[in-house]
Amino acid sequence: MSLEQVAIGSTARVADVSGSDSTSLRLLEMGLTPGVNVRVVGTAPLGGPMELELRGYRLSIRRHEAARVAIAK
Amino acid sequence: MTATPDGSASPDGSPSLAGRAGRLIVVALLGNPNTGKSTLFSALAGIPTRIGNYPGVTVEEKLGRFSHRGHSIELIDLPGTYSLVPKSPDEQVAVDVLHGRLAGVPTPDCVVVVADATNLERNLYLATQALSLGLPTVVALTLSDVADDKGITIDSAELGRRLACPVIRVVAPTRTGIDALGDAVLSVMQSPPQPPQGLDAHLSAVDPRHEPAAREAIARYAWIEQLLSGVVHRQPPASRPLGERIDDVLTHRLWGTLVFAATMLAMFSSIFWLATPLMDGISSGMDWVSGLAESLLPEGAIRSLVVNGVLAGVGGVVVFVPQIAMLFLFVAILEGCGYLSRAAFLMDRLLCSVGLGGKSFIPLLSSFACAIPGIMAARTIENPRDRLLTILVAPLMSCSARLPVYLLLCGAFVPNVAVGVSWLRLPALVLAGMYAVGVATAALVALLLSRTIFRGPPQPFVMELPGWRWPRWPVVLERVREAVWSFLQNAGTLIVAVSIVVWALSSYPHNDAVIDADVAAHREVLSTRLAGLSADDPDQTDVAEELAALDTDDGLAAARRGAAQRHSALGWMGRLVEPLVKPLGWDWRLGCAAIASFPAREVVLGTLAVIYNLGDIDPGEEEGGTALVRRLRAATWDGTNRKVFTLPVALSIMVFFALCAQCASTLVVIGRETSSWLWPVVTFTYMTVLAWLGAFATYQIGTWLGG
Repeated sequence: MSLEQVAIGSTARVADVSGSDSTSLRLLEMGLTPGVNVRVVGTAPLGGPMELELRGYRLSIRRHEAARVAIAK
Repeated sequence: MTATPDGSASPDGSPSLAGRAGRLIVVALLGNPNTGKSTLFSALAGIPTRIGNYPGVTVEEKLGRFSHRGHSIELIDLPGTYSLVPKSPDEQVAVDVLHGRLAGVPTPDCVVVVADATNLERNLYLATQALSLGLPTVVALTLSDVADDKGITIDSAELGRRLACPVIRVVAPTRTGIDALGDAVLSVMQSPPQPPQGLDAHLSAVDPRHEPAAREAIARYAWIEQLLSGVVHRQPPASRPLGERIDDVLTHRLWGTLVFAATMLAMFSSIFWLATPLMDGISSGMDWVSGLAESLLPEGAIRSLVVNGVLAGVGGVVVFVPQIAMLFLFVAILEGCGYLSRAAFLMDRLLCSVGLGGKSFIPLLSSFACAIPGIMAARTIENPRDRLLTILVAPLMSCSARLPVYLLLCGAFVPNVAVGVSWLRLPALVLAGMYAVGVATAALVALLLSRTIFRGPPQPFVMELPGWRWPRWPVVLERVREAVWSFLQNAGTLIVAVSIVVWALSSYPHNDAVIDADVAAHREVLSTRLAGLSADDPDQTDVAEELAALDTDDGLAAARRGAAQRHSALGWMGRLVEPLVKPLGWDWRLGCAAIASFPAREVVLGTLAVIYNLGDIDPGEEEGGTALVRRLRAATWDGTNRKVFTLPVALSIMVFFALCAQCASTLVVIGRETSSWLWPVVTFTYMTVLAWLGAFATYQIGTWLGG
């Protein structure tokens, strides 16, 4: 299951970030590292980006980027 | 240490600083975006001594200078960056400056890492990377007051011990901790820095299947968690913080979108309506100055140069100032309070579909008022590819300068009939169509460019939504001042130069004998035409009136001015391009008007008025507009009775002006904002080609349907 599928308002723990390009590295650098807790705050209209809360701040990422973030069961 | 009057030597005679006596200390300001870096820059160095672009890239370079305890310090504001593993040209610039690899930029002697105290965990990522560079480093904890309000306490002394570098709490707007920061900079330069160790211990714990860079990122966060344990204390707030409750509404997919639409509408209409009286004021002021110059200077070439060349050019520059100031005021406030990122978040999907990003929205929207502030507002787009693409398509948005052209032609040549329902009139529909043509073309161009020459690895859209805070007024006003000043200083002179060149083209060569002959021939043509018209022909009164005007002083002067223009270099150029514009349904006079409108689109109407012997009337006003419309309606192709201005021709002119790049100011601003003459040339070329194709298709299809 990926972060993209997490319901609005729920919190999930990151298991892994797939891919080895600059986007994956940027997601890790922004703090989406394995083990961190992420809350899905909301989404933008028309399938726009997701708003996340982690490490005490808010981050927005596009859906296809969220799909790279695997969630711990 | 105490300040010395000559500011050259440090009295304590420390070895490393004494060696720098009289020499600048170069300090780089490094930090994540939205960490209060600009506010800290202003608090340290005041107004920047230099703002420009780094050589060859569209990345803003900002330098400032101040002195602290007798030492002169040059401050380099590096582009906001999240990591020292660069992923975009602006981050690359930050890394290159730190390593002293950028030509023309001095190698920093010391790094001040700006870290947001409310978001220390993420901010320490860059700070720990910077420490490993081995340069003398100081960490400035900005937004410390906001952190206090949020119940976050940081043991900065303990953090400093763990990081092996000074950690200074600052509240930049009140200058709290600014002196301590300066002292820390001077002190870290006295002993060789010792980068903190600790990352290696965590690296071995990371799954070795990850790439090396990913392993480092994972290990670095594990290390940061350890560094911060016991250093940061969060008091759970009694109620949910206000910022979070604001966000619940403002990033909500429905309420957020509605608030966003209302905000944009308010912003857009104030640029239109609040700036208009100021612009009118500037225009009247310039008219007054022109009138004064006309009354003081003797009639002749000098007067014409001053009034129609220099003053017209200066007026054309200054008139943009209200819009630029207004837009930057809004953008700086929205940016300062954190709304700009929310706006980009809401609009991202829409713009993503044409290859742009959420941050392109405000620059493109403002371009409907005027492309110049819009292109300048593209500075808020961090991603250089998106920024350049936005700049390239922004001039396709129908700006307010196109409106007089649309209104005059729609009113005069589009039949005022209802379309379907009685309140929907054809002229209004055509007007809306012109705006749609611009938007649709911009979308296609953006899509095409992003799939071809701008193709590259996808730029991650990983954007922080910074905490809500009140905008800092000094930063807001500095942004407005800087935008206006850079426009006047860098673009202004060039725009005036272009205006003078076009004036010279339309005034020379000047030959009185040729002009007299032209006026006489014109009188002959009008008489012959009048004789062939029956009394009930609608053209009869117009032709009779034009002929009668030649016997008045004003009418003769206007006719001579028209003849002078038709026989100037501009007239010659118009005849030269006639084969090119004929497929658009235009005669050479329209070709002239299109060339003369290179400085600004709205000039086309004034040029047409001169060409059609009306002199310097104002076609934007009721009376002037009516006179011009009547002259245009009566105009015929040379030597025939065939009308020039028909519905397909009017539409082809409108489409041409909707898509062309006839605005020297826009091109000059593109050149300035991209630090390259390539992009204005590309913009002018692609827009002119599209404008020609669009006008060609419109005229040919229109004629085919009409015939």
